[in-house]
Amino acid sequence: MRKLFVVLAATGLLFAACAEDDPTLGGDSGPTGATETGPTGTTAEASAASCAEANADAFQTAGTLTVGTGNPAFPPWWEGGESDGSEFEFNDPAKGEGYEGAVVAEVASRLGLSFPDAVSFVAVKFNESFAPGPKDFDFVIQQISYSPRRDEAVDFSESYYNVNQALVSTEGSSIAGATTVAELADAKLGAPIGTTSLEVIETVIQPSQDPAVYNDLALAVQDLKSGTIDGIIVDLPSAFFITAVQVPKGVVVGQFETESQEYFAMSFETGSSLVECVNLALQEMKADGTLDAIEQEWLADKTNAPVLT
Amino acid sequence: MSYAGGTPPPAGSGVDPALPDGDRGSRILAPLRTEGVRGVTIAVLSTVVFFTAIVVAVVNSSGWTEIRGAFFDGEVFREALPKIVDRFGLNVFIFLVAEVLVLVFAMVLAILRSLVGPVFFPLRLLAAGYTDLFRALPTILVISLLGFGAPALQLEGIPTSKVFWAIVALTLVYSAYVAEVYRAGIESVHPSQVASARALGLSRRKTLRYVVLPQAVRRVIPPLLNDFIGLQKDSALVSVLGVVEGLNQATILQFENFDFTPFVALALVYVVITIPQARFVDWLIARDRRRRQGAVGV
Repeated sequence: MRKLFVVLAATGLLFAACAEDDPTLGGDSGPTGATETGPTGTTAEASAASCAEANADAFQTAGTLTVGTGNPAFPPWWEGGESDGSEFEFNDPAKGEGYEGAVVAEVASRLGLSFPDAVSFVAVKFNESFAPGPKDFDFVIQQISYSPRRDEAVDFSESYYNVNQALVSTEGSSIAGATTVAELADAKLGAPIGTTSLEVIETVIQPSQDPAVYNDLALAVQDLKSGTIDGIIVDLPSAFFITAVQVPKGVVVGQFETESQEYFAMSFETGSSLVECVNLALQEMKADGTLDAIEQEWLADKTNAPVLT
Repeated sequence: MSYAGGTPPPAGSGVDPALPDGDRGSRILAPLRTEGVRGVTIAVLSTVVFFTAIVVAVVNSSGWTEIRGAFFDGEVFREALPKIVDRFGLNVFIFLVAEVLVLVFAMVLAILRSLVGPVFFPLRLLAAGYTDLFRALPTILVISLLGFGAPALQLEGIPTSKVFWAIVALTLVYSAYVAEVYRAGIESVHPSQVASARALGLSRRKTLRYVVLPQAVRRVIPPLLNDFIGLQKDSALVSVLGVVEGLNQATILQFENFDFTPFVALALVYVVITIPQARFVDWLIARDRRRRQGAVGV
């Protein structure tokens, strides 16, 4: 198979001159973008895989996709439970379960790397993902939202999940029945630190009380349970996880709509040539419905909530 | 020096018995005074060469451009500093309130511990146990335990304010240190002072109040300020409770920009408030030494 891809890639090269660069891929498509436009009946699988093949030396470890994510690995993004010998808590990413787990597994196989054999996971603290210096991962996937300012420090893939932020509260709380943003004006709200959830509190809700910020979602949940805060802002799927598992009396009050659609993206070291390959894989997954199927499988019951206006 | 008859002060208490008497100036500059023009010239030259070498090595290192972008971004700095200073006001509030409470509470502990007589044994035991316990516990642990634990009790009348519990935690921990500083001061007052006061007919209480404590407190002001500088820096630990103070504000800005410059801005704020205090402590120590040399045989 590999040889076939190389041949296809070479054939595609001949036609590269007349191929329009896809603007979402950045200017220089090189030999990799060419296969997409090749007339030889190139399958979708070939382009991401041949891109990975052409950029084989861009991987941290040759022949292996090294993926960074947070530890503990929270559901519903990661599922399947812990494994002996894995440093990861809650869930072992190498199981390829949960939304992000399934996305990584699918992306890897489209890059021509078998999952889980040719994929390794490293625990990455959030700020390690953009700290300068040598990296020990190819990309980080950890519910990181794209923003233009962050894009100056790292390179982002395309969206792998379009996300809305949501409000979690507890039964009987003063804001549990809120239907408008205005009703949240006097609430004491919390959010994980450094997230776009916090920005929702500051820019959309603008409550009279200072928000509480947490290094860890578990601490925010603890304060919600003890009544120190009235509600937590998190992404919608996480909100359903909190109410289903962590806070028995929790309710998802509603979700927020923002002007520009927020989305999660994989974060790469600036200048990594793998961005393009992963983007190709994501485009293929969107085109053939695989990404939708993954969402159906892992997040189907976790995206329905009234919109707070 | 004046610790005759008492235990030596705790380490880092700021009163350094190794200093030669009469050396009133800085220990960094002092050797130069004895070496004349040639010595000063050599010192200036070697200083210039030394620091230039360091700067050149850092600026020419392969990662310098990345580091400069990630830690010293002028645009991010200008945006971050006012926000951080604004939130740092909460740190100032927390440590000022805690410092006042510590001064009082630690004094109670120190007095309990220096009570004499068998009948006060349980109080002495309590005070000693307290200082042992809270000097053993990491501050961040006490803050987390109280900050997350106390509100979770959901008892009527117990405040749920994180700032409240942060101040309580810092007070508990730092009172243990400061009580030891006070105790060192109390024990540094020469026994003859107590004997004289008693001979003049003062009660034990009045001896403590009018003879021992005034001398003790004056003597421990420099080490006390050192502990307060520590407390001020530890006010950053309150960030674990989710309060948006200086450090959390810096962290938020860090994640917003994917840039570490806000940390540098916060570091600068700490340096700016701490260094004048450190110099003030040095000045107090020097003044104290002059005074005691002036007064014959304390």
